[in-house]
Amino acid sequence: MIKIEKSNFGTFIQNLSADYSLFAPVGEGQQSAFREVKNAEQINTHIQITQNSPKTVFLPQTEVLFEFSGDDIQSEEKPAKPMFFWGVRSCDAKSLNLLDKVMGQSKQRPDDPAFQDPYWKARFDDAIILTLACNEPASTCFCNWTGGSPFSKDAGDLWAVETETAYLVEPLSEKGEAFVKGLSGYDTASEKDKQSIAKLKKQAESYLQPAVDAETLKEKLPQTWEDPLWDEVSAKCVNCSACAFICPTCYCFDIQDEGKKDKGKRIRTWDCCMFPIFTKEASGHNPRSLARERVRQRVMHKFRYFWEIYGESLCTGCGRCVRVCPVNLDIREVAKQLLEADSAA
Amino acid sequence: MQNPFEVIPAEIYDVKQESPLIRTLSLKPEKPIEFQTGQFMELTIPGVGEAPFTPSTSHFVKDKMDITIMKTGFMTEYVHQAKVGDKVGLRGPFGTNYPLDKFEGKDLLILGGGCGLAPLRSLFLTLLDEVDRYRSITFLAGSKSPKDCIYKDAAAGWKKHPTVKFHRAVDVVPEGEKWDEDVGVVTVLLKKSEIDPANNPAVVCGPPVMMKFGTMDLLKMGYKEENIYLSMEKKMYCGHGQCRHCVMGEYYACKHGPVFPYAQIKDEEAIWE
Repeated sequence: MIKIEKSNFGTFIQNLSADYSLFAPVGEGQQSAFREVKNAEQINTHIQITQNSPKTVFLPQTEVLFEFSGDDIQSEEKPAKPMFFWGVRSCDAKSLNLLDKVMGQSKQRPDDPAFQDPYWKARFDDAIILTLACNEPASTCFCNWTGGSPFSKDAGDLWAVETETAYLVEPLSEKGEAFVKGLSGYDTASEKDKQSIAKLKKQAESYLQPAVDAETLKEKLPQTWEDPLWDEVSAKCVNCSACAFICPTCYCFDIQDEGKKDKGKRIRTWDCCMFPIFTKEASGHNPRSLARERVRQRVMHKFRYFWEIYGESLCTGCGRCVRVCPVNLDIREVAKQLLEADSAA
Repeated sequence: MQNPFEVIPAEIYDVKQESPLIRTLSLKPEKPIEFQTGQFMELTIPGVGEAPFTPSTSHFVKDKMDITIMKTGFMTEYVHQAKVGDKVGLRGPFGTNYPLDKFEGKDLLILGGGCGLAPLRSLFLTLLDEVDRYRSITFLAGSKSPKDCIYKDAAAGWKKHPTVKFHRAVDVVPEGEKWDEDVGVVTVLLKKSEIDPANNPAVVCGPPVMMKFGTMDLLKMGYKEENIYLSMEKKMYCGHGQCRHCVMGEYYACKHGPVFPYAQIKDEEAIWE
């Protein structure tokens, strides 16, 4: 484990930005997001969690799949430099791994034909993710519900802890090992540093509320299919889809053409299962025309369907949906209500 | 890496108006497309977009492809303006196909309605190309009214085929229209079937409500759950099991379907919705 003194942070970041497209938390509050930076001054080192997750870089809200003019079709080029992400919280690092299962591997069943999304892979495969331990989880955080924790080392290529005077960094993956090997001139973390990590970890964990067991929820969900609770829960949902757009693991997308017959672009844009037209077929038939069906679909996908395929939930407990929902629909409350619901099997 | 969103350019070499709302585009792709009957394609109208359609030609024909399309939405509006010589794009094929080897030596029942007849025509023509493999083919086709019946020219030939029993029904016969075949929803034709239901396969494709009642009737007749094959067409977009428009529980219609044995999906919630 190496130690980057805060007094050296500026130089560290400067050097990093020479070799990588360096992304880090920028901006405050609702304007905060992961953006490309050139120096340490641009980085918001105090932010607990950014409004937008790193998903917006790997799976952009809109991206050009190709441009066409006449018979010519041109795809987008691969980024010139690999990306380095500084300061990703463990929930977001895990989210990227979950997205990679869908976009990078997409094999829902053993006998499925493998599918790899070239746009995703061009960005994600070479990227280095530095997971920064969460010293002060927010009141909306619930990573402990779905197997996470503020100091989790389960995802990312590097793991770092911010102490009073330094960042302590250790590798988590082969990519991370190679990165650390390439660094020189940094001290190794002392025993005292390691003790301070243990203290910070304990304190961070104390901020979290007791966890609801996601696996119990998964087992319960099939029985709740007809439960009137879905009417109650969805009654206040306005189908705005803010929860999905802000979610680090939601990946529904739409494909649209922009332009004219002889010249234009085919673009991929985020879409959301909360929109009534998401499933509406050309005939007018709509498999999920009611809000109840759509809210149920979203919750079931997060906590049941994804689990049935990949063995874990598609929620990392980042709490962003809890923060942005305009009608205070709190997924944690929904989960608790579902667990308590007296649904007949 | 091959870009999975890349389209194969194709030229429209023929357009046939099947009914007031349905037309068939005959396409010549720049390179042959290998598909298995039951699989679907994404058709591109440049500058307008992409939408899923199932070919309606035999899968033994690889250098040409017919696609039968009803005028019903934004994209299909443009399809119905397309002319011979226009360039379109094709992406695919995607999804599962009809399991022809399970039909071998059997008496196959095909039950279809409305636009569902388009993919079934592909199946039917594929079967006819190797007709000796099958004991018999019973094709029951439903349409709203006589003028909505499609593939009118071919139908006469199908009726005369020695291995084929081809029956049609229309829901209603409006005044002034002529019809001397059956009247009623397509399932009324099931009584014409002489097939032993316990040991033979059936294929169902059509609007959701027809699929539901068709399947229920087949089960009542004694068809086995694993022998009923359903074409669960949804709003398929990406074709790769990613974008989630076509999900049914844990299945993607574009990847694990659209052709499912009923036994595989019967316990999924809301399959008929």
